[in-house]
Amino acid sequence: MDLDKDNANPTIINPSDLPSRRRSTPDAKPLGIFDALVPAYYPVALVDPLSSPEHLHDASSSDDDLDREEIDEQEVYDLISTISDPEHPLSLGSLGVVTLADIAIIPPSSPQSRISTVRVLVTPTTSACSLTTVIGLGVKVRLMEALPPRFRIDVRIKQGTSKTADEVNKQLGDKERVAAAMENRSLVSVVSNMLATCE
Amino acid sequence: MSDVQLYLIEVDKDKAEAVRIAQQSAQRLEKKELKLIDLITSLEEYINNRDDGNQRAKSVAYLAEVLSSLSPKALSFQEKRLLSDFILGRIEGDLEGIGASARALVALETLGKWDSETAQKVLKTFLDHTHPVRQFKLQTERYAIVQLVDLLLAKYRDAIHKMQEEDPEFMPVFISYFEGEKDPRNLMLVFSLLQVPMTEWDIQANAQDLFESVFNYFPITFKPPPDDPYGITAQDLKDRLRDCIASNSDFAPHAFPQLLDKLDSTSMNTKRDVLQAIQACVIGYEPRTINLYAVTLWDALKFEILNVQEEDLAVESLKALALIAAKMVECGENQLNAYIRPIIKECNEHLEDAPTKQSEAAGKILYAVAASSPPVADRITKGILPALFALFQGSESIVRRRGLLEVFNEITKAYSDLEESFPDLNTEALQAFSTDALDAMLRGFVNAPTAEVSFRLTSLDGLAQLAKLRKVLSDSDIHRVVDAITDVVLHEKIKGHGDIRSNAIKTLTEMAGTVPDAVRDRALPAFMVELPDVPADPSACDSVLEAFAELSSEQRIFDTVVLRLKNKLNAAKHQKAPEKYQRSLLLALLYTFKFGSPRQENGKIQSEYYTDFAEPLVADIRQGLGNVAPSILEITGRICNVVLRSQGAHFQATVYNKDLEWIPSAINASQGAQNQAFTSFVLYYYAALRPEVADAADIVSQLKMQAAVAVNPSAGRNGGSLRLIALLLNKFANPKVMQSTLEACSIEVSALLSNNATPQAINLAFAVVKALITQGKSGALSTRYLDLLLQLLANGSENAVAQQFATILAPDDILTRENHCFVSGLAKQKVFNQAVPHIIEAVRNTTISSTAPTSKSNYLIALSGILRWLPYSILEPSLSSLSPALLQTLDLTSRADDIAKAPTLAIFESALMHDPNVVQEHTASLVTRLLNCCASVQIPNGAKAGIAAANTAPVRAKALLCLALMPRQLKREAVVPYRRQVVKRLLPCLDDPKRAVRMEAVRCRTAWLGLDKGADDEE
Repeated sequence: MDLDKDNANPTIINPSDLPSRRRSTPDAKPLGIFDALVPAYYPVALVDPLSSPEHLHDASSSDDDLDREEIDEQEVYDLISTISDPEHPLSLGSLGVVTLADIAIIPPSSPQSRISTVRVLVTPTTSACSLTTVIGLGVKVRLMEALPPRFRIDVRIKQGTSKTADEVNKQLGDKERVAAAMENRSLVSVVSNMLATCE
Repeated sequence: MSDVQLYLIEVDKDKAEAVRIAQQSAQRLEKKELKLIDLITSLEEYINNRDDGNQRAKSVAYLAEVLSSLSPKALSFQEKRLLSDFILGRIEGDLEGIGASARALVALETLGKWDSETAQKVLKTFLDHTHPVRQFKLQTERYAIVQLVDLLLAKYRDAIHKMQEEDPEFMPVFISYFEGEKDPRNLMLVFSLLQVPMTEWDIQANAQDLFESVFNYFPITFKPPPDDPYGITAQDLKDRLRDCIASNSDFAPHAFPQLLDKLDSTSMNTKRDVLQAIQACVIGYEPRTINLYAVTLWDALKFEILNVQEEDLAVESLKALALIAAKMVECGENQLNAYIRPIIKECNEHLEDAPTKQSEAAGKILYAVAASSPPVADRITKGILPALFALFQGSESIVRRRGLLEVFNEITKAYSDLEESFPDLNTEALQAFSTDALDAMLRGFVNAPTAEVSFRLTSLDGLAQLAKLRKVLSDSDIHRVVDAITDVVLHEKIKGHGDIRSNAIKTLTEMAGTVPDAVRDRALPAFMVELPDVPADPSACDSVLEAFAELSSEQRIFDTVVLRLKNKLNAAKHQKAPEKYQRSLLLALLYTFKFGSPRQENGKIQSEYYTDFAEPLVADIRQGLGNVAPSILEITGRICNVVLRSQGAHFQATVYNKDLEWIPSAINASQGAQNQAFTSFVLYYYAALRPEVADAADIVSQLKMQAAVAVNPSAGRNGGSLRLIALLLNKFANPKVMQSTLEACSIEVSALLSNNATPQAINLAFAVVKALITQGKSGALSTRYLDLLLQLLANGSENAVAQQFATILAPDDILTRENHCFVSGLAKQKVFNQAVPHIIEAVRNTTISSTAPTSKSNYLIALSGILRWLPYSILEPSLSSLSPALLQTLDLTSRADDIAKAPTLAIFESALMHDPNVVQEHTASLVTRLLNCCASVQIPNGAKAGIAAANTAPVRAKALLCLALMPRQLKREAVVPYRRQVVKRLLPCLDDPKRAVRMEAVRCRTAWLGLDKGADDEE
């Protein structure tokens, strides 16, 4: 049954080498083990100078909206890296099909426009991978569902990685054809299986 | 009427009565009122009734019933013989009532053991006349026969065995006797009785038939009926069948081909059964038999590991490979080599393109096989490592090298497993490569670019593994390893590259267990160098201190670690190091005692630790009264607490009586903030004491003193006093005279709350109520007091009172059983029963527009304050009456009320998980409210500011979580109508300012979009 896979024995990236929020924001200092030693969850008025009352409100509120965390490449990566490959029970991230370096967020072209662009370049596991279109479609659908409408989503095959890149890019770039594809029942079920592993 | 007549009348109507009649006959026989001959004669008419087979069968049943009620001495040897001849004689001519005949024979056998001749005759009669058993349609009849044969094989093995030896025709008949049996209860017995010939007799000539007779049932697909009274599971049958298959080496030529054939099945369950059967066979069969199939098995099993379908199948296959290897060791050198050679060849091939799925699988195979026995490990090492290190040297790719090291680590792991059972394990083969390995991994760990996290982690893992093995590394090599790891822990400041440092600390701690001397001699001094007596920048030392404290979790270096900390603390004090540094050192000490592994004595921390570490700290406080920093006081209290609380009463009393000389007067003398800081020390100190240790007079005077502080509006923050009062009341005050104690100390709750109570008095009242409710020994009093507190809610305006309700059940690290407090298991239930109906009633009767506009929100806040600490199981039964109030809580709009929303959402989350039916009624209102709770920004200018809720990020996230549960947990038709609305209103949430909220929003929206896909499938 493995014979009909295009690539039965792919290289897998070790989970600790995958890009993660922790790696991309090195400045965030985690709580030290001593901070947990003197817990401060005693609520409301029975608190004393020893337990800081800020903890009661779970470090929340006031700075909330001022301190905006922008959508960045890592966040886009986290959205799509957990999509599973249609051939292997493995994620696109661990197969190197999507990488952090191949995701770009392009700010609005003019000050009047609110529309930013997210560009994702997909690298198929082999240059002859027949499922490239499906993978691209899965990534596109996932981002359309998960990103706010002010983003335009541009999914392409990375140059020089697939024999059918031009054809596939044309398909993925064409709104009509993407919409038509999502009418196709068998395609929809393949895509929703791929997306089922997304958190 | 004779007994048999009565029996025949009753047997179809009233089984129990019929049995009673038979028992009565048995008694009469025993008392000699009835002669056996007469009983038999009375049967004659019915047992020989030519026209009515049914009646014949029932007559035999009567006989069987009588016989099984007799006591052993009732019949003579002659009579028993006559009876068995009679029954067997009947079988020859008439098979009606065969089950009863078998039961009668079993009963006779219990009355007196048979000789071999009788046993043989019984079996022969049955085999001759009742073959095959499946001709009897009733399960119970067959069951009785199977039981009889089981009895014969259990007790008359030699006699039956002789039948088999003397008559070549015996086995075929015997094997086919049970053919076609389908009933699980019968099969359980058949599988078990067949094991006698299988394991004990020479059945070579009939091996195939015997094997097929059981293997026909493989794989077992039986599903027990829901109300099965016998409780036989598929697993029971599988276990017995497996034992049969594995019972005789002569089965191998039939078993292995068929099992391997079934291993190709598409059913995972079949594959599971096959793998377990193969394991059982490998264990059960002779080594020379396994030898014949070892390589064939390897060829088949490897596919399950190299191309994993299900993880557990791979694990079982690995187990089987290991079992085969262990068996081959028994066979001898050549046979073992013949088995290992193809494994080595295959794995070496996969190493060439490491790291891949298959090279990883190869590592697992090597580990499993090598760990089975020392000689196997030796051969694997010699066969794999030369190629592995050749590939390693020949490649510049870090990824490739990491893949190879992972495989190497699997092999060393096998050695360390083996070393546990073979202390003087021969590791020469590994030693030959230890220098190569050590150099490679040290270089990888120390010099590789920091971004290569997995490569460094693999190297670290391998280093620890190698150092753990005895005799593989020299002392100086081990020192190099410890130095390298310590260096990373101390000096690698680059953050954000995975878990190198925390893994390094963990590894160093483990090594403290395996090579304690090296860690003590090399690592600890290096740490001390990084910890000056007076640091210029104390916060720079924190990470070093944290790592140092973590080492204490290894008992073998615990004492050294705490001693170094203590000395450092003394030096820091002496040289007047910054307070922050002293505090960090104290925290490190606290951490070691709390989470480290101090030496124990009779299940408690050794008391010397108190004398050596805590007592000097207490002495410092006494000397420096008034000058000790508040933060130091509290942590010292915590250290005392953790070391003192498990000590016995005698030891505690000595300590306490000594400190009684100064502590009370010191509290009295201190003022303001210093007083509260000192109180926090006293709080933890008293929390450690056993109830019987404290002096009653001291407790009362402490209570009075603290009460005075607590009600004093100018005393500032007084949380310490409140907690101390709660502690003293809970633990030391006598519940029988509680009210008078409270009055004596002027902390009686009704007095506190009367006449426009001050906020301080109210807080104090809550503390007292908390102590009493937690204790659970003054039921009436705490009920009355809680009522008084609930009444406060009615007169509006005081939001703070409502919030205080959260404190009553809040978890508290002081009032715990470890601190010898009384913690009632029923407290939560009691508060719920008393307060919640009251509040619900009040909520229902209050409208927002009434005289006290905020009183409704006060009730809701108090409610959520109580509910947030309750386990879901307590509020589950009242869920439907709670729902309206909970929904109204989500409507609260002012910022201050937000504290009530998070716990309410948590309740909805649990309710959606456990009782979706109850929630379903409120689908519409819940959807709307949850959507409101998700909104992040205030509605711009147009709307009135402050009315549109700006929810906090945790509330938004939790609301999205609940909302996401709805399409999953509720019926489709209940949620589908809201789909469009929800999907649309969630769009702005995808752009929420907080990342964590956006993540929940994506999940939630996906769940709701999924409803659409479901619809497509149904069309």
